[in-house]
Amino acid sequence: MSLYEIDQLAVEIAGKRLVQNVSLTVEAGQCTAIIGGSGSGKSLTCLTPFGLSPGIASGAMILDGIDLASADHQQLRNARSRLTGFVFQQPQTALTPHLTVGSQLQEAAMQAGSPRPSRKELALMLERVGLTRADERLDQFPHRLSGGERQRVMIAAAIAHHPKLLIADEPTSALDASLRAEIMDLLDELRAEHQLGMLLVSHDLASVEGHADQLVVMAKGRLVEKGATRTIITRPAKDYTRRLIAATPRLDEAPPKLGQPGEPLLETVDVGVEFPRPGWRSGKIRAVVNADIMIRQGESLALVGGSGSGKSTLGRAIAGIGPVTSGEIRWQGAPLPGRRQRNLAMRQLIQPVFQDPVASLDPQWRVEDIVSEPLRNLRPGLIAVDRSEMARQAMLEVDLTEDFLSRSPASLSGGQAQRVAIARAVIAAPQLLVLDEATSALDPLVGAEILDLLLRLQADNGLSLLFITHDVAAARRICHRIAVMEEGRIVESGAMQAVIEHPKHPATQRLVAAS
Amino acid sequence: MLALITRRLMTAIPTLLVIILASFFLMRLAPGGPFDGERPLDPATQAALQQAYGLDRPLWEQAWLYISRLVQGDFGPSLVYRDFTVSELIAQGLPISLTLGGLAIVLALMIGVTAGLFAAVRAGQAADKTIMMLATVATALPTFVTGPALALFFGLWLGLLPVSGTGQGGAWLIMPVVALALPVSGAIAKLTRAGLASVLKQDHIRTARARGLPEVKILFKHGLRPALVPVASYLGPAAAGLLTGAVVVETVFGLPGLGRYFVQGALNRDYPLVLGVVTLYAALIILFNLFADLIYGWLDPRMREG
Repeated sequence: MSLYEIDQLAVEIAGKRLVQNVSLTVEAGQCTAIIGGSGSGKSLTCLTPFGLSPGIASGAMILDGIDLASADHQQLRNARSRLTGFVFQQPQTALTPHLTVGSQLQEAAMQAGSPRPSRKELALMLERVGLTRADERLDQFPHRLSGGERQRVMIAAAIAHHPKLLIADEPTSALDASLRAEIMDLLDELRAEHQLGMLLVSHDLASVEGHADQLVVMAKGRLVEKGATRTIITRPAKDYTRRLIAATPRLDEAPPKLGQPGEPLLETVDVGVEFPRPGWRSGKIRAVVNADIMIRQGESLALVGGSGSGKSTLGRAIAGIGPVTSGEIRWQGAPLPGRRQRNLAMRQLIQPVFQDPVASLDPQWRVEDIVSEPLRNLRPGLIAVDRSEMARQAMLEVDLTEDFLSRSPASLSGGQAQRVAIARAVIAAPQLLVLDEATSALDPLVGAEILDLLLRLQADNGLSLLFITHDVAAARRICHRIAVMEEGRIVESGAMQAVIEHPKHPATQRLVAAS
Repeated sequence: MLALITRRLMTAIPTLLVIILASFFLMRLAPGGPFDGERPLDPATQAALQQAYGLDRPLWEQAWLYISRLVQGDFGPSLVYRDFTVSELIAQGLPISLTLGGLAIVLALMIGVTAGLFAAVRAGQAADKTIMMLATVATALPTFVTGPALALFFGLWLGLLPVSGTGQGGAWLIMPVVALALPVSGAIAKLTRAGLASVLKQDHIRTARARGLPEVKILFKHGLRPALVPVASYLGPAAAGLLTGAVVVETVFGLPGLGRYFVQGALNRDYPLVLGVVTLYAALIILFNLFADLIYGWLDPRMREG
């Protein structure tokens, strides 16, 4: 008998059926992964049977011989406290902000009725999940820890009461690439150590590939296909799965065909960015230190690094939306002044695109106003009719139809919103786009489409791209060269394929290994 | 923590100074003076009084004198209650106002937080809507309506409570405290409900629920504290106002608190008395905002940074 078995699960919220006909099993000591894009119902599938989503589940859900479908509120709570541990996506918010790490861990260890653990035992739990200075951390509040550290605390708390089933809902999506691999390896170890069954949810095929025994592919609330991971990846039966596999960037796929770059366009010479420390503390935070990068006309440069490496700060400095403390940014050899001194022609040259497409569009505006906004500022001489016409053109360039112009951002999907953001960036005919994690928040299928769109824009208009990301495999699909950042410094740069094949700096090696 | 307190107290001094100076000069801009009565005094007496209290000197010199005395803890003499110094008047009125205001804050917190908590747990249901409606009514009813209404009902009709003055025991406090606490409790109920309802939707509540904790424990251990941040930021300045004399309530119930002196001082152009009360009030506001900041740090440790 399986540890956990779901048969014919359906989930309804407010009378709407969002998941149906999903069946899966989790064996003790093994990992079953649910893969799907946003809106596929994967999270609902794993949380609703335990009463942790607003939905109502029907069907058969049997965990360790207990039928969750017929369990009342009290029994369900009992099952959660004894049998399951949960790890959620957002380590920033999933821990209670006003309770110390130690007190939350203690609560977790006692949730199944165990006696109060000693401080030493709590520290050991933290050490087991790879946290250093464990004793000190017991007294810290969660916000003092980094994202990766918090996720380790979440994991320690999720297994502190020795559950039989670990449910991990996108446990690594909010972390950067090298941390992802470490957390997944940790979960594997713990699973083997405690004979834990694991139900893993992810939108990213690449991140579960080496870890899941069984794969369940979901789309639009339904099961697409399921089976052994290896079988599905090597011989996918369904078209959706095939597209998903093709969309997932890998380092071993054939190198892309990219255009020939022209003359140097943008250079940063010894650029540094410093921020004053928050509060009244003295000293400076050096976010970017002596950065030298160069982008040619029609070239794509990947700026890669972990979180906090300074890559976004450098990108913002180049786009003229963040400060430059020292050094110089040059455009075709001539110095480009600081953001306030740039004239309209200079501002037009470089346009940014951000990570979270929905958050970067003003919810009060119509798409047409959003897309044509740069024109109002950069080309004040244009009349309204011309602006509308150019907005229509820009929409066509990003493969959206005209009728999107009258819609509001709230009605767009993530991919559509990112296309609108790109349309806004290209409408004023820039020569360089600064793309800050522009595909990281998107599902793989949608992200791959955006990458294709960027390639096409480059081929059509000779655009240069600064592609800021933590994902080397995604960057490899569109970039000629790569520059790796760590702690504010460029630690390695060169032709994409050469750097991937022979990474020299440890930071590069970690990022490549994680992809 | 200690650094924060020291720093805030250091910035409090110039703030206070600016408030005192501004009030000093603004008050002198207003027409009239402390010795204007129904019948004008004869010019000689007027001049003598002016000279005795130093009101004939240049304005900046008077301001300087006032502040240098204030530093030594001397609020100066009252110009209207001529047998008393301002310090004495404050010493008479402040204990009454402090008792009244302090009890009102405690009562308002007890009613407000409890009501807000109930409403948030039953968000969207009938109980929530009823409580929120009552809270709106409580906030909207001014004390000059509730005060007399309470006095009429419990004092005159039922004869249960004294309607005026500070009598024996604590019975005289009940009605003024209730009248003072009602609007504050309404505001606290609304803030608590809004704060808690949004905290209960947050991820860490789901984590607590995933642990199979009982709902009561989730509510009190994981939910309530961050939900009270808006209450703390409201209560900081509000407490200073309540403690330094609720003018209306003190007048309605005939209580010799600080509020009465403040109003009479302003009407009579009793410069030192008004300045004394203003200084006290400003100092309390600064102090209570500091308390509020310290409480934030306890309610939500993320607020201790930066």
